[in-house]
Formats: sequence, C-alpha cells, structure tokens
Amino acid sequence: MIEITDSEICLDELIKRAKRDDAGAMVTFLGTVRDDETGGIEQLEVEAFQEAALAELQAIRQEAMSRFSLKAAEVVHRTGTLAVGESIVAIVCSAGHREEAFSGCRYIIEELKSRAPLWKKEIGKKGERWVGRA
Amino acid sequence: MRVKVAAFASFREILGRERALEIRDGSTVKELLDELAAASPRFREEAFEPSGALRDYVLLMVNRKRIDPQQDLARALVDGDELAVFPPLAGG
Repeated sequence: MIEITDSEICLDELIKRAKRDDAGAMVTFLGTVRDDETGGIEQLEVEAFQEAALAELQAIRQEAMSRFSLKAAEVVHRTGTLAVGESIVAIVCSAGHREEAFSGCRYIIEELKSRAPLWKKEIGKKGERWVGRA
Repeated sequence: MRVKVAAFASFREILGRERALEIRDGSTVKELLDELAAASPRFREEAFEPSGALRDYVLLMVNRKRIDPQQDLARALVDGDELAVFPPLAGG
C-alpha cells in the first residue's frame, strides 16, 4: 500500500500490514528529520504533488515487487511540518529471504528520492532553505 | 484556450499552488512560461537565466508526466492541459 499523509507514521502498523506467512525476511527503512551540525534546524516542511507522487510511488512499488519477488511492500511518506527526529518516510518490504527484502527496500527509497515529486524545506535559526537547490 | 498551472516548493511560493490561465490556441510550453515570467518578475528571475534560457533546476510536467525542459519547450499545449513547475525533487 502507498500513502502520503500529514499524520504521524506508525511503523508497527506497516510491519503488521506487510507480514506474510511465506515471507522469511522483513526489511524496514525509516527516514527521519536530521538536524545540522550546528543544531540549527527547527522544523522541516514536506510538500507533495499528491496525485503525481502517489502514481509514481505506485509504479516504483510495482517495479520492486516484480524485480525482487517481494511478498509485500508498504510505503508511507509524510507531508506537513515535522520536528527534528520525526519520521519522513517509512518503507517495509517482505520477501522469502533477506537478500530480496534488502534489495527491494533499497530500490524503493532510491527511486523515490529521484522520481517522486516531493520537496523538503529546512526551517532554522538562520532562515529557510529548499533542500536540493543550490 | 484554458490551461492550468500548478507550482510546487519554491515556485509555489512565487506563483501560488494553482491557477487557470486563458492563453492563445496552440501556445507552447515556452510561451506559457514566458507569460508567467511577464506577469511575475520574481518568477522570471528564479526560472530564467539573464540570457532568457530556462535555468537548469527548473523541472516541468505536462498532465503529470515529466517533460524535458531543454527539449520539449516547443511542445504545443491543448485546452485543459496542466503544466506543473517545480525545483529538484527532495523526497525521502
């Protein structure tokens, strides 16, 4: 299942949804809001082109399911205003064995970062900055 | 004809999230971008080099499909099309 939400991510819920009797491995990835080295980040604003991002994430999930023979893949991305330490994205992949589960999970996060229309703005003591812009 | 412009992240802050525009039939993506730049000096500065070329961090979608901002600016739009304008992606 794919979700873009302004509610807090519950990883346990995703793990429950991705459990399968024929899966011997589950790999989870959690991306979190990181402070900078000076402690200057106060908030992160996450924005999505909702309809296009959902379609892209759905395509990425399908690719991962078939390339790595996953039994299940759950992807949730947050939007809205997040504090340092909060979860931005969670991915849970189930597979017969760990190799496929690791590969599937890595594939989804890497493709999400390069293809899904989502943006982050760091808001800190020294001002604001859209991530990814020079 | 009527088209929709959707803007995200830094470009949303300049153009607003969504607007509908009446443009000449057969207008291209470049002509629509020029129209937006004519109406907003800030958008012109953010999206275009002083030479008039589109800056390389400007990304575009037509009807939710990515187009190549260097190759596809001459693409003609049709009534009801949606052009999305945004900076580099940064999800995850």
